[in-house]
Amino acid sequence: MKRRIWGAAAMAVAGALALAACSTGATPSASKPVTLKLVVADYGTGPSSTSSTYWQGIATAFHKKNPSISVKVTAINWNDFDTQVQTMVQNKQYPDITEGDYFSTYAQEGLLYSAKQVLSDPGNLLPAFKNQGTYQGTQYGLPFTTSSRTLFYNKKLFTQARISSAPTTWADVQSDAAKITGLGKIGFGLPLGAEEAQAESLLWMLGNGGNYQTSSGKYDIDSAANIQTFEFLTKLVNAGDTEPNPATKDRTPLWQQFAQGQIGMINASPALVPIIKTAGVLTDSDWTSVPIAGKNGALTKTLGVCDNVAAFKSNGHEAQIKKFLDFAYQDKYQIQFDKEYDLLPATSTAAKALESDAIFGPFLKALPNSVQYPSDTAWPQLKTKIQQTIGTTLTSDPKSVLGQLQQAANAG
Amino acid sequence: MTSSLLPTAAPPASGHSRRRGRPSRRFIRRAAPLAWIGPAIILIVIVVLLPVVVMIQSSLQKISPDGFVLGSAGINNFITLFGESALSGVLLRTVIWTVGVVAVTMVISLGLAQLFNARFPGRRVARWALIVPWASSVMMTALIFRWALDPNNGVVNVVLHDVGLLKAFNSNEADWLGRPVSALAWMMVVAVFVSLPFSTYALLSGLQSIPEEVYEAARIDGASYWKLYTGITLPMIRPAILVATLINVINVFNSFPIIWEMTRGGPGYSTSTSTTFMFTLKQSYIGESAALSVINFAMVIVIVLVYLRATHWKEQVD
Repeated sequence: MKRRIWGAAAMAVAGALALAACSTGATPSASKPVTLKLVVADYGTGPSSTSSTYWQGIATAFHKKNPSISVKVTAINWNDFDTQVQTMVQNKQYPDITEGDYFSTYAQEGLLYSAKQVLSDPGNLLPAFKNQGTYQGTQYGLPFTTSSRTLFYNKKLFTQARISSAPTTWADVQSDAAKITGLGKIGFGLPLGAEEAQAESLLWMLGNGGNYQTSSGKYDIDSAANIQTFEFLTKLVNAGDTEPNPATKDRTPLWQQFAQGQIGMINASPALVPIIKTAGVLTDSDWTSVPIAGKNGALTKTLGVCDNVAAFKSNGHEAQIKKFLDFAYQDKYQIQFDKEYDLLPATSTAAKALESDAIFGPFLKALPNSVQYPSDTAWPQLKTKIQQTIGTTLTSDPKSVLGQLQQAANAG
Repeated sequence: MTSSLLPTAAPPASGHSRRRGRPSRRFIRRAAPLAWIGPAIILIVIVVLLPVVVMIQSSLQKISPDGFVLGSAGINNFITLFGESALSGVLLRTVIWTVGVVAVTMVISLGLAQLFNARFPGRRVARWALIVPWASSVMMTALIFRWALDPNNGVVNVVLHDVGLLKAFNSNEADWLGRPVSALAWMMVVAVFVSLPFSTYALLSGLQSIPEEVYEAARIDGASYWKLYTGITLPMIRPAILVATLINVINVFNSFPIIWEMTRGGPGYSTSTSTTFMFTLKQSYIGESAALSVINFAMVIVIVLVYLRATHWKEQVD
């Protein structure tokens, strides 16, 4: 009995295999079908908002118009995106297109198509971010989505703590955070863990007139101003006005805690807005966002971040990539992305379409004169070091930690 | 079949010339085992030896962050590696991690194995339950512990708070994984937790192979329980202890997912072992990371050799 069942099962499997073989053999050979490997960072906060849904929608619509080109979408969570893409590149298993962090070293190694090769109208990309993706005069990184940082605060907690105005100086931040800590909440959310320590650090450096580089593009990480900045942060942390051990806390969990009403103040991009809405704890009138606090007054220039598309040469799909990118960069998809994640567009036409939008308008206005990360080829290596170690300025000597980073910058 | 054909196929000849006349046959007979172990050897060459060669090769090359070889680096990768200020701490932590986890695991496993060898109602269920930490993914276990230790609402903190041992959430005390020392201690707990099932089962199988008569004889001679344990049980399961310890040392030394999921080796590198540190380096400094791999590899081999030597492995297992 048993043997017969097995026999039947084996026959069924064999039959299925034969059928499968038939069906693959019978596929009509339409003009050499190509599959593009698209690897994107996941901006979503869960399965319902994952970026693979957004990209799959574009891919499906695109495939309908271009039956010979399929697009395989892989979405990777932000925490692992850099590592995984870098591993693919190191192992020479190149994707065709990536969207997320972009490294100038890819351009330096000659791995990428230039913007001109894979986009019909590269002039439509926001000029403010052109420098970021440019290597030796040619643009390789194509901005896809942008954002700028502001200070979000919980108005409800502020009222409870009897604070009447928004913080604009470091002294305000310190006294307000102390009052909110008194309510049993976290005063200031300070994500200096590996996920995005380079952003949080830069926001505080800017508040004291510092930066990673001087205005002429020379690394100056251990400048007196920066050391002073981290000394202030150490004071803030030691007073208990932040979450404990900020060097181990990442951006995403802290944003979620802010959305839960557990944190008084936090620096964030508009991407925090959908997180607040999903959490459903804070109503629209319970929070607001203002320019980031500086040592002596609010910042006039904030950090502008763009995530880039990069197109890899090695699979030789130039024409297909161009078709796809022209399709994906349509205004409607730009705007759909921005509405979904509360981020800002990266093309001039889409920006124009959103100019008068109540939420996006003010952010868009600030975008052109925003401060950006360094764009030289030493930055990618340096960034991973900053992410891993800059948080330790809070528990050891800031001067020596920043000094080591400066050394790494000089070596790279 | 071949031998039955021999007398007819071969002309009659003296033993001497026969042996000389059929070297190929003799060779085939000698080489016959190769057909059986050959595939295994090929597999070992491809998945074990080849990577070792590539690893050593990479450690001597200058490699760009994107994986391009830019020429020879000589021993520069090793020099940069030894210049890393974090390295000494990482190595010391690796020793504490490995020795601590393996020692605690083995001691607890000895007790557990003894328990599971005794007859008690529900033993079958208990034995199955012990497999769970082994059967579930280590990464999953590590994540569960990370969430349980969350300073804001982790279940460990909630319990401690409810019984009055923890004053406030989101405080330094509640942030177990934020402080390097307590983070390392917790991760060692997790490592012990996932290592227990294998060690216990290895020791249990050792216990089960001890014939009951030996105990009976000793009991008739008036041996106490403690005497039975130290005089019979321990010596007789010594091979099992050796093997379990050795495999644990290698596993724990190479353990990656627990540390990576719980702290990523941070803050800074202060909860990194040489395995996670190697991975952190790999992101941008491939050559240097390969250099650390070489050192890790050498360390494992040295540990194993020293251990085998010290425990007179040959006499035990032969």
